[in-house]
Amino acid sequence: MKEIKTAINKDRREFVKKVLRGSIAGSLFLLLPMGGEGSIDVPAQIPGIRGKKYDMFKQRFAFIVDITRCIGCGSCCVADKREYDVPDGHYRTWVERYIKDFDDNVYVDCPNGGLDGYQKPRTDIPGKIRDTFFVPKLCNMCERPSCVQVCPVGATFRTPDGFVLVDKDYCVGCAYCIQACPYSARFLNPKTKTADKCTWCYHRVRKGLLPVCVHVCPAKARKFGDLNDPNSEVSQILAGPEVITVLKPDLGNHPALYYKGLRREVV
Amino acid sequence: MTEAVHTGMAANIMNYVFPNDLHVHWSLMIVLYPYITGIIAGAFIVSSLYHVFKVQDLKPVSRYSLLFALAFLACATWPLLNHLGHPERNWEMLVTPNPSSAMAGFGYIYSLYAVLLIFEVLFIYRPTMVALKAQATGKLKTLYNILTFGSDDLSPRALALDKKIIGFLAALGIPMACVLHGYVGFIFGAVKARPLWSSPLMPVIFLLSASVSGIAGVILSYVLIQKFRGRPVDSKCVITLSKFLWGAFIVCFTFEMLEVFQHSYLKTHHWDMIHGLLWGPLKLSYWKLQVGVCSLIPLFLLGILILFKVRDKAFVFFATIASALLLVQVLLMRWNVVIGGQLMSRSGRGFTTFHPEFFEKEGILPAIIIMVAPLVILWLLGKLVPMWEEKGVQPSTESTIQS
Amino acid sequence: MQSYNTHVKRIILLLVVMAIVGYGAKRLLTPKTFGKYGHYRAAAIDAELNRPLKHMTNYSCKKCHAFEWEIHEYGKHKTISCEFCHGPYADHVKNGKYVAKLPVKKGLEIKTLCIRCHNKEVKARPKDVIKTIKMPDHLRKQHVREDHICNQCHHVHAPLRYINMAKEILGLAKNEEAGDERNQDCH
Repeated sequence: MKEIKTAINKDRREFVKKVLRGSIAGSLFLLLPMGGEGSIDVPAQIPGIRGKKYDMFKQRFAFIVDITRCIGCGSCCVADKREYDVPDGHYRTWVERYIKDFDDNVYVDCPNGGLDGYQKPRTDIPGKIRDTFFVPKLCNMCERPSCVQVCPVGATFRTPDGFVLVDKDYCVGCAYCIQACPYSARFLNPKTKTADKCTWCYHRVRKGLLPVCVHVCPAKARKFGDLNDPNSEVSQILAGPEVITVLKPDLGNHPALYYKGLRREVV
Repeated sequence: MTEAVHTGMAANIMNYVFPNDLHVHWSLMIVLYPYITGIIAGAFIVSSLYHVFKVQDLKPVSRYSLLFALAFLACATWPLLNHLGHPERNWEMLVTPNPSSAMAGFGYIYSLYAVLLIFEVLFIYRPTMVALKAQATGKLKTLYNILTFGSDDLSPRALALDKKIIGFLAALGIPMACVLHGYVGFIFGAVKARPLWSSPLMPVIFLLSASVSGIAGVILSYVLIQKFRGRPVDSKCVITLSKFLWGAFIVCFTFEMLEVFQHSYLKTHHWDMIHGLLWGPLKLSYWKLQVGVCSLIPLFLLGILILFKVRDKAFVFFATIASALLLVQVLLMRWNVVIGGQLMSRSGRGFTTFHPEFFEKEGILPAIIIMVAPLVILWLLGKLVPMWEEKGVQPSTESTIQS
Repeated sequence: MQSYNTHVKRIILLLVVMAIVGYGAKRLLTPKTFGKYGHYRAAAIDAELNRPLKHMTNYSCKKCHAFEWEIHEYGKHKTISCEFCHGPYADHVKNGKYVAKLPVKKGLEIKTLCIRCHNKEVKARPKDVIKTIKMPDHLRKQHVREDHICNQCHHVHAPLRYINMAKEILGLAKNEEAGDERNQDCH
């Protein structure tokens, strides 16, 4: 018994020492610079961007959404909303739930854009459910964007590196681009009173980080990478045998957002 | 693609609208803008029918219709400025217009057309304003001086030059009026993402209904103003106007019906949505009101008036009613196209709703103000220059109408 | 001396002046970087580039929270972002200094969060991507009280950590985890 008590006391002392050291060290962190926004001291998630001159004209990025892996958790939607302060009722990205029954009826829903995830199953479906799957949606970054074509003042544009962006200091808020987008990816931001949409996290990609939705996806349903790098996951998928499709190909926008495992019911 | 629209119980739980499609972005203001430019274009065409095509019967309203057009032109930008998120940046449309955007044409098309219309009015009214200037004093005299460009020369040579210029402006104004309203139709027709809008017929339909609304507006306002002032109405003028109105409307209605028929016959996958829209949320405003009450009634009413023997007084009376109905028809058509097109979600699986409030920024009250304002401006213009050319009018001595 | 076309000459002059002034205004008002790469302000690209980052990556947490980070990095929840449950980095650290506490989920909040992904009732969760359970069946199956919260058995950062410890004690085969090849020192 005495040995156990000694052992316990020794542990206690060690424990207290550790805690004290920890608190002192921790409080020192309040003084030491930890690497703020200016320096990105986390490892790059997209190799080959940092540390060299960025030639906008030579970039080729790809975004692939894998329908076979999405679990409908909504982490992507939450992270996106936090990163960009997206106002309620508007969505830069969202996740839809598709339910199919045995009569080929398709029921689609998207409560609050998928921000709360899909906590409960749908109870209003008559008949037996044959299949169900989740489909994340975001800006398709078309190569022939309808939105850019119709903007009257040149406030939305396609950068030389393939990103369709909105110049919110120049946009007049006419909402023509919002009408023109076939994928309903755009909305009028009620705070800035300009058009707004997913940017594939341009500000992160340029720093070698993945878009936030790609980064937080726990199921690896969203993939982003550099097509100029033959070893990147996206390059390998696109070179592989899996069927890669896009949404609404008949409209001729040539979207750069690819889907793996997309079903014919998805519009 | 599997059936996108379902009926019965399934329809209630099958309504899926993309999250960003729930909100209708182009509201009453965007319904009003084409309506106003349509009236401008149509009224201008009435004037040009006299000045270019020498339709003498329209002389009584040849000046009035220009003032009518000018009054609406002054208010054409109001709904747009009210709608923009940043109206203070509207100069960008003139400084950096995007050549691939139909809407970018607005700045220059509107400005150039305004210049043309204002100058045509000034040239036509120059002799009148010179006479008014002589009688006026103070600030009004200065105003007339500016409007006549400081020139009192009414010699035959000057008037001949004026006549040539007026003819030139009236002729040039016809294609410009077509562009002023045609491009609006193209704004909608060019949006491939919205199946109700995406059609090459859209600019044609808009332009034709513009003519209808302009002519009908001239008839209605002319008759009402004359009645209000206790003056006789030139029935020959109204009769000729009604003939043009009927002709324009037949073509317009044909194209409108052709568009729907095309969709219903081809039955591409868009048909399910358009069918669901026209027989669903739009059943009242499209089939019952726009087509039933406001298209078929004036169509047959005007037909009866024009093809059969009708006394002048009765003709004017019923033609005015037909004109009022057609003015509503054109407004409904704009509503059904602009709002209806946005009610269909791009998911192909559902419809959203739209209920304008009375007191909101782009609501019913601002719409009423914007539509009443041109009438106020017209009244003010009437105080500046006389709306009618001569004091008396020529009543038609024939009781039969030649078709 | 007025002539028959004085007013026309004045009008033409006015139009020419308006055109020149208009053109001059257009040149002046066009933004400097407009047209560099296309019909837009090239400065807008820089504006987007300079947007402040709100999220970082899990590595940004490692510096101060190495203990939790390591458990998480070598656990089954490795692919979950710290920032999803706790909030973005920028709410916690600004300009290299700690600014505010990030929320830590407790009690029923944890259960709701777990069920958000792991609920078997919501179909369409591919089996090879995530393991799903049905509540309260899962608790009944494990012979555990039905008011238990998930983290009473599962470490939230590495859900199989305690399970595997227990299995090791009992001499059962462990569940596969990320980084199993690393010698897990549990003490």
